[in-house]
Amino acid sequence: MTTPPDDRVSRRRYEREQLARTEAEKLLEDKSRELFEANAALSTQSANLERAVKERTEELEQALKRAEAASTARSRFIATMSHEIRTPLGGLLGMIDLLSMDEKDASKLELLNYAKAAGEGLSRIVNDVLDFSKMEAGVFVFEEEDVDIRALVESIRILYTSHGKGTGRTIVTKIDQSVPKLFRSDATRIRQIISNLINNALRYSADGPIIFRAKAEAHEKGVLLRCEVEDFGVGIPPEKFKDLFKDFAQVANPLTVAAQGTGLGLAICKRILDGLGGEVGVESSLGEGSTFWFEVPVEVVSRPQSTQDDDVEMASGGLSPARSIEGLRVLIAEDNIINQKMLLAYTDRMNLKADLAENGRIAVEKFAPGKYDLILMDIAMPEMDGIEATRQIKAKWPAKDVPPIFALTAHVADAIEEEANIVGIDRILSKPIPFDTLKSLIESSLKLSTAKAGGNPKVAEPSVAIPPVCAPKDASALVTELKGRMVPEVANHLLEIFDLDGLIDLVQKFVVDASFRLEQLIAAERSGDKDAASKQAHSLKGASLALGFKDMADMARHMELRDSDVDVEGLAEEFVSQVNEIRSILSL
Amino acid sequence: MKGTIFVELVKMAEGAFGEDVVDDVLDKADLDNGGAFTTVGNYPCSELVKIVVAFSEHSGLSPEVLQKMFGHWMLTHFVENYPEFFNSKADAFSLLESIEGEIHVEVRKLYPDAELPTFETERKDATHLNMTYESPRPLSAFCHGMIEAALEYFDQTGEITSQADPVNAQVTNFAITLAE
Repeated sequence: MTTPPDDRVSRRRYEREQLARTEAEKLLEDKSRELFEANAALSTQSANLERAVKERTEELEQALKRAEAASTARSRFIATMSHEIRTPLGGLLGMIDLLSMDEKDASKLELLNYAKAAGEGLSRIVNDVLDFSKMEAGVFVFEEEDVDIRALVESIRILYTSHGKGTGRTIVTKIDQSVPKLFRSDATRIRQIISNLINNALRYSADGPIIFRAKAEAHEKGVLLRCEVEDFGVGIPPEKFKDLFKDFAQVANPLTVAAQGTGLGLAICKRILDGLGGEVGVESSLGEGSTFWFEVPVEVVSRPQSTQDDDVEMASGGLSPARSIEGLRVLIAEDNIINQKMLLAYTDRMNLKADLAENGRIAVEKFAPGKYDLILMDIAMPEMDGIEATRQIKAKWPAKDVPPIFALTAHVADAIEEEANIVGIDRILSKPIPFDTLKSLIESSLKLSTAKAGGNPKVAEPSVAIPPVCAPKDASALVTELKGRMVPEVANHLLEIFDLDGLIDLVQKFVVDASFRLEQLIAAERSGDKDAASKQAHSLKGASLALGFKDMADMARHMELRDSDVDVEGLAEEFVSQVNEIRSILSL
Repeated sequence: MKGTIFVELVKMAEGAFGEDVVDDVLDKADLDNGGAFTTVGNYPCSELVKIVVAFSEHSGLSPEVLQKMFGHWMLTHFVENYPEFFNSKADAFSLLESIEGEIHVEVRKLYPDAELPTFETERKDATHLNMTYESPRPLSAFCHGMIEAALEYFDQTGEITSQADPVNAQVTNFAITLAE
């Protein structure tokens, strides 16, 4: 009898295991199917997602294209608007200038001044809005050029104190020795920032001086220029600080009921400084005044403690500059009759000899070497535009025979800059260009070009012999002597811009120039040419005023106007003796 | 209920009573699938109760005693098959506290449809732990056995009391006090 071994399994146990296995296999199949279906669902979903992403991407690309097209259209619109608004505005302002020049009726003059102020206000707003739009559109371009901040600030000072709300206000400029005479930056933008800050200071203060300070400290790029504009006006509560530099933000001005400006000024300053890698900020206490400051790193061109030569050069630019451009011959290429009249009136007032070309082709025909000292070239003209005319002139004649060419344009300057550079335009001036600005630009550029032509700035100095400079150690005593004869404010101001030596040099130039002019004046008077005599007197007046020699300025004015039986010759002799007194002080 | 519980219960019975006895008991127990369980399947809990009752009748041991024995058996099974849950723990309390947040999380990854009981723990102090067991199935004795086995595994001794919740019939409150 055999017993089954222990490792044998009973039939029912085997069947139960079989059953369990079948069930497990069925479960496995079910799970496999579920997995497959889940996978299929996932694949479908994934495909859907991919399609959705593709559709979205296409939509976004479309949207981007539309946005880019809109942006391009906007830029074009800005350029067009800029032209369309500035051209008539320039015409208006120019006409007002012309009317003012000839107007004798005080009440009408007052109205014209209001019109001019309103027009200039509009012009500023248009420029602000255009600048802002350009920044928004990302087409705001920064230049790199040599900047002379002393000259720049001085021109701003004169501009603001000579008219409008700045009349009668004092703007004190304190530019530290540490600030380089020349540095690389964007002069237009720096001017814009300083003008904005000074304009604000004038708006938000009723009296007291506006103080402009500048200093520089070492920086990895060269120096860090820090400028401050301080006023003693209404001040700003601290909680407003953070909004000051935001777009369209304005702080309520208790000095005026009406809102002024666009609220874009400081926002533009901030954006410009962002672009130049600088910073802007404010310190202020309510009721006591505000100090706005900005810092910008700049590359130094020449160091401030340089030489007397620089001062001499600067001084020559500062002294009654009207002399230096008188009689120059200018070719004006301009088709617009209003602009023609304006430019002709301007050049007439500058005592320039102007010749008119109605378009670019005529300008090319009229031009010949030695015939003109300067060409003012409108850009948009019929038949041949200014760019092409410039190109043809430059192609036809050797560079040394072509005088400086200034482009006048109502376009945004950036728009034609590249072309202008290619054809060799020396400077682009945006219309409307105020009389003073045009004049000072012509003066400075012609000085520069003569200097360039001579190869050595000293050669380009007026050819009149300058007596040897006295020993510098006497400078301070000398200046004290001179100051006694000058209006104190003018003397102090001149000393701020020039140093002692610079001032002495300036006076020396005055002595030489005045002596020469007095000789001419006396000669003209004796020969009966009253007109020529008056002109010389006019120049003497300007030069005397510039140096604060009030007595001499008064004499010159009498000689110029020849009011009731004035003894011109007698005055001239007295003038000569005063000049000689100054000469003797200088040679002490 | 997961098939592994059934399979392990049958294995335990085979060890205790022998294969033939198990076969006889299963045959008589009137099970839906004739006792053919697999670890990957899911079966109604009532089937488990049937098996426990059948073995209880056969052996004369009470269902509660059998459940506790089975609790010990299952813990040993878990230690063998899932040592990572045990190695990282220093004592029984840590293990019990990790059931909800750690072990059940892993179970759900493999068996999304698993119907798991909940184990809320509250440590009163270093030697006292309250655990609230909640399940629609009447298996609190099984749970009790597992707690005992956990203490043994960590070489700890202590007293375990269990009390059916007076309000919620699905809840049993355990209080575990470690010996000083």
